[in-house]
Amino acid sequence: MRESTMMQLQYVTAVLAIGLVTVHLLMQGVLVPYGEAVSFQQVLSVYRNAVDGALLEILLIVILAHGFNGLRIILLEWRQGAGWTKGVNWVILLVALAMIAYGTRTVILAATGQVS
Amino acid sequence: MATNKRGVSGWLNPVHLNIERWAYVFQRVTGLAVLAYVVGHIGDTSFFVGGPFGEGPSASSWSLDLGVTENILGHFVLVMVVLVVVYHGINGMRLILAEYGVIFEKPARPEYPYKAKSLRTIQRHLIWVAIIGAILAALYSGGILFG
Repeated sequence: MRESTMMQLQYVTAVLAIGLVTVHLLMQGVLVPYGEAVSFQQVLSVYRNAVDGALLEILLIVILAHGFNGLRIILLEWRQGAGWTKGVNWVILLVALAMIAYGTRTVILAATGQVS
Repeated sequence: MATNKRGVSGWLNPVHLNIERWAYVFQRVTGLAVLAYVVGHIGDTSFFVGGPFGEGPSASSWSLDLGVTENILGHFVLVMVVLVVVYHGINGMRLILAEYGVIFEKPARPEYPYKAKSLRTIQRHLIWVAIIGAILAALYSGGILFG
């Protein structure tokens, strides 16, 4: 993808992240009291609610795309070179995908797994 | 032609340290801090389903995890996260508005005292909104976590 497209991606994910993170933070202590928000039953009911669970999954993807693309931009500004650029692009992509996969596993298991 | 030989260390170049420059340094530092927290947070929240080898929601695994994070140090980290996230978010909105030219005036012929006309807009105030907003949000979250 062209760098100008990647920069537009950075702005789109930024705007989405502002809304999603605001909701996420308000759920942790403002709309829901903090002690209740981290309790097992409350967390379980969030994951088992289709809308809340989907929002967490979208937040996961948006924030990791924004964060790792930002790290990529910083690394490419730090050093220049065709090999460096290619290496950074691939490593960042793989690490970001691995983190998305790991987080998605949590969301799926929390929503559908056997409660113990 | 301008060169950029210093790379990342050039961010902290003490020459031209105007408020826009500091806002830029803080945007990157807070971005890296938030990314580090997010990666840790995804690892930490996975203990709701028993960690890397878990198979479903586990109350015992979750209370073990809360035992690690729910203390004075953990809450202090959360307050710091609120501080840097709110700064990064508000300053980031300023950067997007500036990127698309929404909060810039048209460039004009330089006149005494030679301050860039395009910068004398709401965008400079927005940096202070980000700083003050972040401090207020951190104090509010501190009140929730420690109050």
